[in-house]
Amino acid sequence: MIKSLIKYLFLFVILLLAQLLVFNNIELSGYINPYIYVLFILLLPFDVPRVVLMLSAFLLGLSIDLFMGTPGVHSSATVLMAFARPAVLTIFSPREGYQTGTQPRMITFGLEWFIKYTVLLVLIHHFTLFYLEVFTLQHFFSTFLRAISSSVLTSVILIFSQYFIFRK
Amino acid sequence: MRNLLRFIVQYHFLILFLVIETFSMFLLFTANPYQKVRFYSFSHSVSGRMSTRVENIKDYLSLRGENRMLAEENARLYNRLGSSFSENAPDSVYIGDSVKPENYFYITAKVVNNTVNKQFNYITLDKGTLSGVTPEMAVIGSEGIIGVVKSVSENYSSVLSVLNRDFMVSARIKSNGYYGPLSWNGDDTEFATLVDIPHHVKVTAGDTIITSGFGGVFPEGHPIGVIADFRLKGGNYYVIKVKLSTDFRKLNYVQVIRNFAKNETDSLDNAASR
Repeated sequence: MIKSLIKYLFLFVILLLAQLLVFNNIELSGYINPYIYVLFILLLPFDVPRVVLMLSAFLLGLSIDLFMGTPGVHSSATVLMAFARPAVLTIFSPREGYQTGTQPRMITFGLEWFIKYTVLLVLIHHFTLFYLEVFTLQHFFSTFLRAISSSVLTSVILIFSQYFIFRK
Repeated sequence: MRNLLRFIVQYHFLILFLVIETFSMFLLFTANPYQKVRFYSFSHSVSGRMSTRVENIKDYLSLRGENRMLAEENARLYNRLGSSFSENAPDSVYIGDSVKPENYFYITAKVVNNTVNKQFNYITLDKGTLSGVTPEMAVIGSEGIIGVVKSVSENYSSVLSVLNRDFMVSARIKSNGYYGPLSWNGDDTEFATLVDIPHHVKVTAGDTIITSGFGGVFPEGHPIGVIADFRLKGGNYYVIKVKLSTDFRKLNYVQVIRNFAKNETDSLDNAASR
């Protein structure tokens, strides 16, 4: 229990630093910005209490907001994504359901399941994020394009990262 | 009462979501400038320190380009030296600057954080109140204007970039002197838009756009960009697309400009409008 708590705290900090120091500096043609910190929400265990899920999503989004100077933008998007997670898990659940003791990992449920799970939640997060940031429908299509292309890049990075961490 | 409790227990996930999301939205919408500045000057001093480390590493990678730019700027400055002009010209007299009061003072600062991919972009500089930087100072680079200082902590300052939808500067067409407001429309990081130029003015693609000096933030005559494209809007005014001369993707060293006359002109303006 304590061990996994420390593990997730560690993951939280690592993802925060990676986002702020590395991935915030990546922007291709002004359109594509990956936001990889959402991996934290994706990897939380199945049986995490929903209150904890929600509060940790808020803390994660708020921490990103604090450092990027955009109060509310990332926290709104991340909280919405955390709210959607149980429903998304239900949609993609295997026929026999998720067995107790398993965790949402690619190694357990396979590449196809992980892609579906990641892409849907990342899309929810990125669309909320990009439209809240622009906060107008004036540039609807350019924002749409930015959200789609960034979602693709984020998903690719997240899926690829699964080959390196949590392999066991 | 029991029904209410049961309702809360049953839908606690949804209720919690609504509460947190409402709070986030509240954060998003409250644009309270005072708290904002207080809050940012704190977070900047933390994130600024972190970014400095990263920037130090990045510095080495861009040394070659920086050297070239410094050399070019040196050449430009040499050209302005008194010794670059002939002193024998019969109709000109050199007047020493020491008799005139100093008007502008330039502070060199290094960019430690910069974004170009948002709608409201900010730049963080490594100079703050200790170096004499205060809000509302102009920031320029060697190629053109960069932004206006928004909030300051002791060692860092946050600059409203030209690439911010809140940014506006009075700009002038160099060749004919007509001026109008210039701002960024949040679309392409290479272009800004100049409006309110009347239709009878002769506008040519390639003309230089400079700061007009109105508003007291930017000194007159600093380059902004060149005209890339223009069209008439409603038949009366031109909407001019300006190619910015600064490449905001590779900012490194910038100059913060302190205007010694600003307080005086500001109080005069205030008195006049009262």
